[in-house]
Amino acid sequence: MRIQDLAQLSTRAFKTNPLRTWLTILGMGVGTGAVVVLVGLGFGLQQIILEQIVFGETLLSLGVSTTGAQNLKLDTETVAKFEAMPEVLDAAPMARFPALVTYKGLTGNVFIQGVEPPYLRYAGVSVIAGETYTDADLGDNSSVMISPAVLKLFGVEKPESFIGQKVSFRILIPANDGTNSNTEIVLEKEYSVRGVMKDDGTLNAIMMLPELRNYVGVDEYERIQVRVKSGQELPVVEKKLIADGYRVTALSKTVEQASKIFQGIQIVLATFGGIALLVSAIGMFNTMTVTLLERTKEIGIMRTIGAAPNDVKYLFVSESIIVGFLGGISGIVMGVGFGITINVFLNFIAGQFGGKAVTLFSFPFTFLAFIAIFSAVVGYLTGIFPARRASTLNPLDAIRYE
Amino acid sequence: MAKPLIVCRDLSIIYNKGKSNEFKALTGVNTDIYEGEYIILFGASGSGKSTLMYSIQGSLPPGEGTLLIGGDDIYSYPPSERVYFQRYVMGIIFQSFNLIPSLSVIDNVALPMIFCSADKVTRNRRAQSLLDRFGVGMVSHKVPSMLSGGQQQRVSVARSMVNDPKILLADEPTGNLDSIATQQVMDKIDEINTFDRRTIIMVSHDAAHLSYAHRVYYLKDGVIVREVVNPQRKQIKPVREGETIVTELEQLAHLYPYDSIDSLRIKSMVNFLTQDYTLDQLSRLERAIGFFIKGKIDRDAFIKALVLPLERGGVEMDEKIAREMARRTDLLLHQADDIRRFRAKKNNPGVFFSQHKFAERLRDHMLGAFRIKLSKVQDDNLVELVADRVTGVIEEDEFNSRLMSGLRGHGLGLSEREADDLTRYFEKLIAQGVDVSYKN
Repeated sequence: MRIQDLAQLSTRAFKTNPLRTWLTILGMGVGTGAVVVLVGLGFGLQQIILEQIVFGETLLSLGVSTTGAQNLKLDTETVAKFEAMPEVLDAAPMARFPALVTYKGLTGNVFIQGVEPPYLRYAGVSVIAGETYTDADLGDNSSVMISPAVLKLFGVEKPESFIGQKVSFRILIPANDGTNSNTEIVLEKEYSVRGVMKDDGTLNAIMMLPELRNYVGVDEYERIQVRVKSGQELPVVEKKLIADGYRVTALSKTVEQASKIFQGIQIVLATFGGIALLVSAIGMFNTMTVTLLERTKEIGIMRTIGAAPNDVKYLFVSESIIVGFLGGISGIVMGVGFGITINVFLNFIAGQFGGKAVTLFSFPFTFLAFIAIFSAVVGYLTGIFPARRASTLNPLDAIRYE
Repeated sequence: MAKPLIVCRDLSIIYNKGKSNEFKALTGVNTDIYEGEYIILFGASGSGKSTLMYSIQGSLPPGEGTLLIGGDDIYSYPPSERVYFQRYVMGIIFQSFNLIPSLSVIDNVALPMIFCSADKVTRNRRAQSLLDRFGVGMVSHKVPSMLSGGQQQRVSVARSMVNDPKILLADEPTGNLDSIATQQVMDKIDEINTFDRRTIIMVSHDAAHLSYAHRVYYLKDGVIVREVVNPQRKQIKPVREGETIVTELEQLAHLYPYDSIDSLRIKSMVNFLTQDYTLDQLSRLERAIGFFIKGKIDRDAFIKALVLPLERGGVEMDEKIAREMARRTDLLLHQADDIRRFRAKKNNPGVFFSQHKFAERLRDHMLGAFRIKLSKVQDDNLVELVADRVTGVIEEDEFNSRLMSGLRGHGLGLSEREADDLTRYFEKLIAQGVDVSYKN
């Protein structure tokens, strides 16, 4: 039998029994729709989280610090040593000193960090207001970036309003004489705030390392960000550094763990959707079985006028694949429609209350394609058993069936 | 000598073998069917005739024995290969048409070709030409349910022929059809046999179809009780000298299809003892009388048909006897008209008088035939009896006994011989004159 004839013969049910056929499709549609919505929710949540932390080079970087237990030091030689490693593209150090910050007569404690611009990229530092340092800003000596905690310290609410404000610093260098006293170095000029970091709760200010060196001698670094050449080398370098006794943190690890958690969430959501899908698949199986009984006589006729057992089987299987696939498509339409409606609704609410717009439901194309194919497979599975039975019916018994 | 196309040897078919409801549908069946033959499997329901046909068709594997089609044991092939026979060797038509309701007529006819992967243009052309040939070309795009039974069956004949099979199987194809549609379908099947030279195997229990076939297998209780050759058709099956001879029994079998071979022998003997004419002469006489009664031929043509020699299609009777027969037939038919007239007045009370007159005339016909003289009272009583019998108040038995009973009981007091003669003659008149409608 030719494909086009098979298609024509197996879609007769749309003409002869349209209501039941469309209801079956709808049943499958609701089932797949549930899967689409729930898994789409999983994708959406994952994306919301990952959007916050994923940056290109950050994932390829390792943060290296000392454990303090061994006599390891992070200094210029260490940076050179890391850079010499074949898997490493670059290494950027960060020096940190406790300091006092003064703004309009108010003074508070901060940590002042001296970095080179690549470090910001490798560490994934970004801003919520103002701008960050680019590679061209290495020689900058008049601006700083601060963390939101500093804003709180000064009672400033809107980050934008703090951009361009002047602050001054005094760096505290611990005395090496065993006492708790500090040497105070006054940076005798004012720095303008160029950006507010999107950061955690620590009180931080960032300035360029060369500018910092103008005031204090930097013998030792707090941290070095190591940028590896490619993702495969990440674990290799990590293993080497750990073997050398360094403490290594990798953002990619966190991302991986987050992904795993979300995969777990998605599996749970998909399981619930899958139950709905299973119920509709059972319904469809039932319909196909009833259809078989209804068509028993027809099968007998076809067999006696020259249909091979396989022809009968293909007729049934293709019908259930078509119904399953259309069910999948309608499920996708329903699910995506539902998700988009919720998204629009939520964003509207968020807009009204001044919140940030989020995409709660997300439907990657590959996922939808998978669902379409998967629903056809479900159709195939529900059709194959009735089809096998149909093909093995004795034509004579079948033709006498009323 | 040509080899038979279909050979059954000691074929037995058992339903539900090994179960408590085991049933032997066919036992030790032997048939040889030759290419181009028209075979009827004849028998009452449950005789196994359909079982034999479906076994040949490939849907019922034999329990014992062998079945060869064109020398091939089709049941030695798996079902997926056995369809070759159903596609290219055999076409089938059913009593209940078995068209697929959701497909148009042309798709129904083309369906066997669809299974053979024929392309649309080829198969539609072929289907349409067959539909045209069988007189249903104009309905090719309707669905089967919009067609009459006769049309549906002709569509299914077209479907059976679409792959140009060697053998056409027909399972009581006219069982659901009226007489006109039956005639059309039977003619088409006959045409397929005589014109297309296809082998036909038809299952039937209608004796009227037997004259189409070359040979008829009579089945009873799963056994072929006899094989009857139709002497009217030139046989295809080679007749070996001394083995198969056409006897009078074959002729009788056509007249009495449901009788066993023993009762046919008895009929043959009774015919010999009571009739001067042969069975052949009798059946010719029947035909001539049939035409005469219906008024298709006049008296002279009737006499001529009786006198003509056998080889010219006549009955070959003595002319004197033929004339006497014609006279008596004519007389009886004319007198019978009075019965009809009498009954036509039956429901009209105002014309009692004329009804009485017809009864008197009927009495005179009877008395005239036997030259019996009656008294006035007897005359009046006979008129009354005639009226009672013709209106259906009394039955034949009572009519007869009243003729014999005394005058006081409104009888005639005739002798038994006279009473029987009158009764018999009058019953003949009634038989000719009453319009019988079996439907009521």
